[in-house]
Amino acid sequence: MSANDSNFRVEQSGASDDSIQQVHARLLATKPEKADGYSKLPLVVLGLMCSAIFFGSIYLAHFSLRFDPLVYSERANREKPGAVKIVPLTRAQLGKKVFDTTCLACHQANGLGVPGQYPPLVATEWVTGNEERMIRIVLHGLNGPITVNGKEYNNVMAPLGAVLKDEQIANVLSYIRASWGNSAPEVLPETVAKVRAETSSRTTFWTAAELLKIGN
Amino acid sequence: MNSPANNRSEQMEIDASARWPVLVFFGSALLWLLLGGVMQLAAAMQLHQPGLLAADEWTTHGRLAPAAQNALVYGWGMNAAFAFGLWLMARLSATTLRHGGWLFVAAKFWNLGVTLGVLGILGGYSTSFELLEMPRFVSLILLAAYALIGVWAVTTFSIRNTENVYASQWYLFGAAFWFPWLYAIAQVMLFKAPVRGVLQPVVNAWYAHGLYNLWFVPVALTAAYYFLPKILGKPVANYYLAPLAFWWLAITSAFAGGSRLIGAPVPVWIPTLGIAANMLVVVAVVIIGLNLFGTLAGRQAEARNSLTLRFIIISLVSFVLAAVMNLALSMRGFAATVQFTVFDGLRDWLTFYACFSTAMFGAAYFMLPRLTGREWRSPALIKAHFGATALGVGLMIAGLTYAGWIQGKLLNDAAVPFAEITKAMAPWFAYRTVVLGLLLLGHVAFLINFLGMACPFNFAKVPDALFRAPPDLSPEAHAPVGHSLKGVGP
Ligand code: HEC
Repeated sequence: MSANDSNFRVEQSGASDDSIQQVHARLLATKPEKADGYSKLPLVVLGLMCSAIFFGSIYLAHFSLRFDPLVYSERANREKPGAVKIVPLTRAQLGKKVFDTTCLACHQANGLGVPGQYPPLVATEWVTGNEERMIRIVLHGLNGPITVNGKEYNNVMAPLGAVLKDEQIANVLSYIRASWGNSAPEVLPETVAKVRAETSSRTTFWTAAELLKIGN
Repeated sequence: MNSPANNRSEQMEIDASARWPVLVFFGSALLWLLLGGVMQLAAAMQLHQPGLLAADEWTTHGRLAPAAQNALVYGWGMNAAFAFGLWLMARLSATTLRHGGWLFVAAKFWNLGVTLGVLGILGGYSTSFELLEMPRFVSLILLAAYALIGVWAVTTFSIRNTENVYASQWYLFGAAFWFPWLYAIAQVMLFKAPVRGVLQPVVNAWYAHGLYNLWFVPVALTAAYYFLPKILGKPVANYYLAPLAFWWLAITSAFAGGSRLIGAPVPVWIPTLGIAANMLVVVAVVIIGLNLFGTLAGRQAEARNSLTLRFIIISLVSFVLAAVMNLALSMRGFAATVQFTVFDGLRDWLTFYACFSTAMFGAAYFMLPRLTGREWRSPALIKAHFGATALGVGLMIAGLTYAGWIQGKLLNDAAVPFAEITKAMAPWFAYRTVVLGLLLLGHVAFLINFLGMACPFNFAKVPDALFRAPPDLSPEAHAPVGHSLKGVGP
């Protein structure tokens, strides 16, 4: 700190209050002029004001959503009420909910299962292959040795046919077949109904060997 | 115009009339600054030392933090603003502060209110609204005390002996009306006849933003507009734009509070309106910057020699930074990262401490020697105060900006568990404690110096000749043509 000490102990004033008021009153009363013509500053300030108002109002118009007291998100649909189109969900989208509640516990959210216990659902011949086999697995369960993506599993998957409706089974299988990089065609509820009717007499779990005979 | 000598004796009369009310307000302000600072320090420490003072419910973080905040805002901030505002109002109105005894009464009641309020918060009677935590009955005491003070400021203005009104007076006058308006409306809408549901946080945000930006910021600008021409002896640059800035700031700031509610469960047009208002505030900030930095331009060396102006410069830079920060926090994408981090707290700290409080320090260094007729006792303590403030403000801004960004990144990463974030932030909370401690040391230095000067047993009166008679403000050599103001005045 280089300033001299005395100045720090008592500030001196450079102008009397009276003259401050008078000079500034004059400055307000007269238009600013520059020696070299005119000052650009008022124009610059005017430009700034206009652009601030311009952007402010665009923002307001865009994100206020008609000042609707019931709209809480700036990303809400901007259409007028009534002009809203209903967007149908695909089977795969509907199936996510079924998967999360019934299959996720074993096969995991990422579909990779648990090594040695629950086989993966990603890029397996069972998932992307013939849909009839999958439908049967979900309807009546599966036990015994099974090879999935070259790895051996020998565990039990409980039957879910009594819990899930045809529509739900079609949806969840469509979801699996369209997720995590899988891309096999949708499964339709009619197919599930057909398989359910064909196998209505079955009471035991399927085995992998049995299933491999189907739909070759 | 009066001859300078005449002018000076008139001025001394005014200062003498303001002496005791101002000293009482400012003295109380400083005590609260210290008390609030200690509580704030302890509350800050609890964030990285959770066991500290946790045994007693009076000093748990949930009570200590708002108590500190209220002590600083209503104890230090308001008292200091009253002291400075009353003094300047008397000076610029060229009239003495009459019947100062009533101001003592007002000061008593105000400080009684704040004391009860802070104790109420510590005792567990706080409301849940930011900056309005004090128990309900306290608001009546505060409003009554404020009414007295406000009436004094307004009457002093209305019996003024000057024909011209200067920018500082607009801001003071505006602030004098905005505070009771904000405070009374918030009290009615939140406690007396509470609005329902989502409207409550809206009122709260409007109040908090208003208190900082329509009370504390105008008072800081009052000081800046006054001291720059006063000390430099140079008119404010581009002054013709100043009225525009005043009205623009007043109107846009009033709508900007909604921007605090980005992402909150309120009708989306409310934050959107606040964001748009924050975009408009920029115009006022640019003009004020042109005015005040324009006045400084070319006179940096002189400004550096003035302690008051050094503080005012910190205040001005912080004013601009606070506006930038308000705008940045208004950007929805940016807010998504930093909204609930230490960065968000920095915004109000920047307005209240770095902009407002530093302006009051600067004002005090000018005002108090004139009121007491005594010099500051210790230049070393002055340097300690200024050094601590300058360093503290810089460290706080730089550190918390960085820490807030880090914290926001971590919070937005679902893979990072919350305990992990707390651990990562602990060093930054410690950092904040250290900076707050540094600032507190500065405040202690200031208080000691103040006591040394104001103590009634201090008979070391300095000769009046210490203050040179202020010359008339001369228009600059490079003043615009057609502005030959050499012969100002009769
Ligand atoms: C109780 C845990 C469990 C649940 C719940 C479960 N599975 Fe399975 N899943 C298994 C096991 C275990 C196997 C392997 C059986 C074996 O070793 O024979 C399997 C195998 C499969 C296979 C064939 C192998 C493969 O990975 O490609 C498919 C397809 C399948 N499950 C789909 C489903 C679907 C769809 C659901 C939900 C509707 C479901 N699973 C729910 C445990 C489960």
